[in-house]
Amino acid sequence: MRTRDWGVIAWRLAILVGFIGAWQWLTGIKAISKTPGLYWIDPFFISRPSLIVERFLHLASGNVRLSIWQMALSTVQSTVWGFLVGISTGFVAGLVLGRNDRLARVFEPYIIAFNSLPRIALVPLITMIFGFGLLAKIVLAWTIVFFIVFFNTFQGARSVDADLISTARFLGAGEGQIMRTVIIPSTLAWTFASLTPSISFALIGVVVGEFIGGESGGGLGYLIIQSLGTLNAADMMVALLVLGVIGIVMALGIKQVETRLLRWRPEYQK
Amino acid sequence: MAGRVRISIRDLSKTFVQGPREVPAVSHVSFDIRDKEFVALVGPSGCGKSTILNMIGALVAPSGGEIVVDGERVAGAPPPKVGYVFQKDTVFPWRTVERNIALGLEYRGIPAAERAARVKEAIALAGLEGFEEAFPATLSGGMRQRVALMRSLVVDPEILLMDEPFGALDTHTKLNLHAELLRLWEAKQQTVVFVTHDLSEAITLADRIVVMTRRPGRIKQIYDVALPRPRDVIKVRESPEYLREYGLIWHALGEEFQEVAR
Repeated sequence: MRTRDWGVIAWRLAILVGFIGAWQWLTGIKAISKTPGLYWIDPFFISRPSLIVERFLHLASGNVRLSIWQMALSTVQSTVWGFLVGISTGFVAGLVLGRNDRLARVFEPYIIAFNSLPRIALVPLITMIFGFGLLAKIVLAWTIVFFIVFFNTFQGARSVDADLISTARFLGAGEGQIMRTVIIPSTLAWTFASLTPSISFALIGVVVGEFIGGESGGGLGYLIIQSLGTLNAADMMVALLVLGVIGIVMALGIKQVETRLLRWRPEYQK
Repeated sequence: MAGRVRISIRDLSKTFVQGPREVPAVSHVSFDIRDKEFVALVGPSGCGKSTILNMIGALVAPSGGEIVVDGERVAGAPPPKVGYVFQKDTVFPWRTVERNIALGLEYRGIPAAERAARVKEAIALAGLEGFEEAFPATLSGGMRQRVALMRSLVVDPEILLMDEPFGALDTHTKLNLHAELLRLWEAKQQTVVFVTHDLSEAITLADRIVVMTRRPGRIKQIYDVALPRPRDVIKVRESPEYLREYGLIWHALGEEFQEVAR
């Protein structure tokens, strides 16, 4: 672990305070004095820190139909489910095809074709099939996460060291035991490396789903698209900030899990 | 030497096919290995000595001839009671030292209590106390190879195939492991087939040394090592018998190395 470098932390804080200060100050300067509404840098487009705080407090209070917490919860739930379903199915598919050359050759063109398809283009279809709810968002996140995990796992399952398999065989392992004690642990190391990008892409998938999904699915993507309709930059900024926090917390959580699971790897040794 | 024949190699040949080319690796090799015998295979690199070992372990199928272990022809699966130690590091990196050593016992369904006791004993024998919970990434190459050796020995194999197990280690570590291997071997008297290109290693450890020719590998000559046991890996090198054996085999081996260099 790095030792805490107070110089670096001080600089980070200074940049943050300077940025927010400049934002607040610059968006307060009128371009033509006394003419209402004309600003040098218009808060209409990029909002203002004070406005954002005000809107955040409003959206966080109980006085709104759908609070920021409910929306955040909806986004987090869909992301976590899409992530979990994506990694488990991607892992199983990657393992099966990675250990079976013939099957891999049969499915190769379909996998490449489906993966090349921009996932966003699927949103209307997925919404049509799964409705305007959590399920559509989960499915969308899944279609993205699945392939990230699948390709990593596939690669990992193919590169299992043949000498480790022979070693297990000499020690008396049957095929099931080889799968459990050699192939799966060795492949998992590759799968784990795809967890961090997976959680980020799951979040992307969910937010895009919420853009279209409408109010019943709720979520922060809904707040963003609704704010576009009302030309409310402050609400958008609130949604973006909360999304940023969610993204950071999830990425850090996954990093913790990864470090714990891969503690045997040289790069994770203290 | 007395003892029944455990491994019988009969007219064994192996030709590898690499695209359009056929590369003969082993050509018409026959010899027997008796029970409790420590046999070393030496020869220039590429002479097929590892290939012979891999054929005994059923990792590679012969192109001609056969290998019979305990009266059973080797085909497909490794013969029972055979342990194998690779030159390459094959310690499972995601398992701790003790869980690596426990592997074979786990596979055989040995109950946890007995497993723990046997692993503990093996760890003590190998001088790995204090490293039970360590992951291989934190260990030196010598310690990892020690773990691999104990992992093979803890299941009590009667035949041990070793493919240049100490080839990647420095001289000092190597000598330590020679002493340890001899100590362990003298206690259990496994039948050992040990592949190496290091002649002093072969003389220090083996009862018999099979010298191979350059590719395609044939048997050049088989030497009995007349050094008394138990052997001290340091002192043995200073004895006149050792030097005489070394000179004799070195001469035969030297001819093959010269041919390779030419």
